[in-house]
Amino acid sequence: MTQSFVLRANDRGHTVVRSEGSSAAYVAGHTPSNFVSRESSFNFHEYQSGRPGFGAIRVFGDETFHGAGCGYNMHAHHNFVICAFVLEGELTHINTAGRGTVDQLQQGDYYVFSAGSGGKHCELSIGPEDMHAIYLWLMPNKLYLPPTYHRAHFDIRTRRNRIVQLVGDGDGALPVPQDLRVSRLITDRPGAYTYTPRSAEYGTYLFVKEGQVRCGDVALGPRDSLGINGVDKIECDVADTTDVFFVETVMFDEARINAWEQEHGDHD
Amino acid sequence: MNITLKRLVCLGCGFSYDEALGLPEHGIPPGTRWTDLPEDWVCPDCGTPKSQFEMVVIGYAEGGSPLAQNA
Ligand SMILES: [Fe+2]
Ligand SMILES: [Zn+2]
Repeated sequence: MTQSFVLRANDRGHTVVRSEGSSAAYVAGHTPSNFVSRESSFNFHEYQSGRPGFGAIRVFGDETFHGAGCGYNMHAHHNFVICAFVLEGELTHINTAGRGTVDQLQQGDYYVFSAGSGGKHCELSIGPEDMHAIYLWLMPNKLYLPPTYHRAHFDIRTRRNRIVQLVGDGDGALPVPQDLRVSRLITDRPGAYTYTPRSAEYGTYLFVKEGQVRCGDVALGPRDSLGINGVDKIECDVADTTDVFFVETVMFDEARINAWEQEHGDHD
Repeated sequence: MNITLKRLVCLGCGFSYDEALGLPEHGIPPGTRWTDLPEDWVCPDCGTPKSQFEMVVIGYAEGGSPLAQNA
C-alpha cells in the first residue's frame, strides 16, 4: 500500500535558541548575536505539533549557527546516530568516540556520529560567518553499541547530475548502524531522475534543499519535502540548480510492534 | 505470568529507560514499570519530559545491557 505525505517549508517547526539565560549552558557564545535557528521537519524539543518521524528518522532539520563562537557546548547522547551535512560556513565538531576527534568540516563535508553507549559532542562555528548544516538523527538497529565517528566529502562541483549515495551500505558511503541510505543530487541542468529504494517496503524521505522537483503531480520547492513508502521507484523531474537529499529508511510498522507485544505476553 | 518489560528512548538525547534494569543509582529498582514513574519524572541526562520518550523494540548490542545499567 502506497502512503505518502508532503511537508511544505512553512509547515516545519521553527525555533530560535539564544545563548542567554537558561539556554546559555546549552548554546555556545557570549553575545545576544549568538543564536541557533532550527527548521525541523519532525517533532523535536519544543516543536511537538508535527510528525513524530519517518521510519528510523527522528530529526531532519536545517540549523544555522549565527555569530562567532556559536553552536552547542559539549553534551552527552546515547544510542542516536547523528549525521551532519555542512552546506555553508565551517563546523568544528568535537566528540568522545574512541580516543576522541576534533574535526573541521566545510561545504560538502559530512559526518556520521553514532553515540551508542555514550558519546559526547560539541558543535561550533568558530569564525564570524554563519554555519548552515542539515542534521539528521536516526534510531540505531542496536542499543549501546560502541560509539563511532566517520566523515567524508561530497564534491558538489564534480559529482553533479547524478544521485550519489553518501551514507549506508553502498560503495564509498559512510557506514551507519541502521538499514538506511542517504543520497544527494545536485544539478546544473534540468533532467529526469529515478530513485530506486531497495524494495517497496522501504520509505523514502525526499527533501529539496534548493531548486524545484516535480514527482508525479506534486511540485516541491525550496525546503519542501515528501515522504513516501510502498513504491518500487520514485520518478522525478528536477530543475536546473537543484539540491535534493533522499533518505531511504526501513519502516517500523505499528502492526509488527503490536504483534511483538502480544507474542511477549504484554497485556498492559 | 510472563510480562514483557518495555524499553523507552529519550527523544532529546537517546538515553534509554529499560523497565527490566530500572535506574538503581537514581533510586528506581529493576522491574519498575514506565507507568509507575511519576508524571514529572524527566530524563536524568537532558531533562526531557516523560511524554517525549518513545517505546522501542530494539535489542542491545553484545555487552550493551550492562552498559545500559550503568549509563
Ligand atoms: Fe547533541
Ligand atoms: Zn535525554
